[in-house]
Amino acid sequence: MTDETFELKLRLLDRQVVDPDGAMICKVDDVELARADDGGFVVTALLAGPLALGPRLPGRLGRWTVALARRWSEDPEPQPRRIPFERVTELGSAVVLDRSRDELGIARLEDWMRTHVIERIPGSRHASE
Amino acid sequence: MKRILSIFLGVLTAIGGFVDIGDLVANALAGARFGLSLVWVTALGVVGICLFAEMSGRVAAVTRRGTFDLIRERLGPRAGLLNLAASVLVTVLTFTAEIGGVALALELATSVNYLLFVPVVGFAVWLVIWRLTFSLLEDVFGLLGLALIVFAVALWQLNPDWGGLLHAIVAPHKPASEDLSTYLYYGVALFGAAMTPYEVFFFSSGAVEERWTAKDIATSRVNVFIGFPLGGLLSVAIAGCAALVLMPQGIEVATLGQVGLPVAVAVGKLGLAVAILGFFAATFGAALETGLSTGYSIAQYFGWQWGKFVRPRRAARFHVVVLLALIAAIAGVLTTADPIKVTEYSIVFSAVALPLTYFPILVVANDPVYMGEHVNGRLANVLGTVFLGVIVVVALASIPLMLLTAAGQ
Repeated sequence: MTDETFELKLRLLDRQVVDPDGAMICKVDDVELARADDGGFVVTALLAGPLALGPRLPGRLGRWTVALARRWSEDPEPQPRRIPFERVTELGSAVVLDRSRDELGIARLEDWMRTHVIERIPGSRHASE
Repeated sequence: MKRILSIFLGVLTAIGGFVDIGDLVANALAGARFGLSLVWVTALGVVGICLFAEMSGRVAAVTRRGTFDLIRERLGPRAGLLNLAASVLVTVLTFTAEIGGVALALELATSVNYLLFVPVVGFAVWLVIWRLTFSLLEDVFGLLGLALIVFAVALWQLNPDWGGLLHAIVAPHKPASEDLSTYLYYGVALFGAAMTPYEVFFFSSGAVEERWTAKDIATSRVNVFIGFPLGGLLSVAIAGCAALVLMPQGIEVATLGQVGLPVAVAVGKLGLAVAILGFFAATFGAALETGLSTGYSIAQYFGWQWGKFVRPRRAARFHVVVLLALIAAIAGVLTTADPIKVTEYSIVFSAVALPLTYFPILVVANDPVYMGEHVNGRLANVLGTVFLGVIVVVALASIPLMLLTAAGQ
């Protein structure tokens, strides 16, 4: 997976990221690049969350997104959520990882909504009938 | 045998699920004021929705990605977000109109003021979304929606001059008493009602919910190409009834009761009861669809887990978004803004937002990297491109026409 050459914008950016079972994790909001020995770039990680998406949104909206995400973060040095590129097993209509969202520990908003809102409503653990 | 039954069920639910509050109001309004001279617009809209629903269903079956997932991927985060904002606004406005429509149907049945029903309706919508499986909710409300066939029965009972009706449809003639701009404005409303963007979000996300694969493309085509046109015929029957009963009396449609009046005249009390059941099913089903569509679009843009195929706790943000949309819609109806007026605005704004949805679908359906052997053929492309042109013209004309005619006054 790591040796292939591809068009970043067309095949990676803004793609859906899923786990091996197809459960949706996040979007590829941005990528982390490093210089390769041959002078080209290699993707070292996928970046996700408002701190990765914010800088790609225009003007004030982008700045506010970043500022809000920083304020809400408990981290003194807030960074975008980072998924090392080694986790990627397939680049198709979605980017497939070899770990689930819980194992990666990203998307705090989902966890917060789950414990504070959804799990307080009866029936949240049951499949639909 | 089981397969044939399931295809048959799919077609029936596509017919019953085609009409929503927008179609009910727009067709009755247009029928009462313009007779059958605007049926050609409904026909055009039905062709368009068939074309693009088939494309979005095919894209979802092949890629297993919902429409907004692909919209962001193709347009990037900036244009994608602008598109999302516009689409969500229109969909929530439509959601509001549908909830109002359910409450109005209950008012017709009980003579209790519709506002009193709104909290109950809101809770029922949420409960169904929370508990029922996707296919069950689609089947139940799709089948109940078939009650609207009573409008076709009513048209039959009115015993019209069929040759004359057919002539009025194929050789449309604007009534002399109406301005051209008003005529065109109602044309835009009918077009927006037939092609509402949420139907495409819902159809493609539904394909992912029901785990379609490339094998299901044929079934989806049958549903779309048979079910939607027959559903469109129900729209035409509603317009026809209004043209035969309301137009000669000079009645302009301002309430849901007036939409059903021709049925009462032609079929009697029992017919009216069936029509009210049809109103209820059509609007309740569409309320579920618009509510879910709001969640689908936002979750797909941000890459969150969405859908009813997982337990609610696995898609927490999606369910929170649906809940917030529902609260907004309920609050919208409780402002006591006339639900019929809200409906009129929702379909005109739908017309404005149409290119935002349909352009990216055409682009993706054309992309061989995604679609492989299921990429658009030449016919789909030519028709798709021509239609996109029509959609852009309608979208550009809609706001000026609304201002020019003071929203059709």
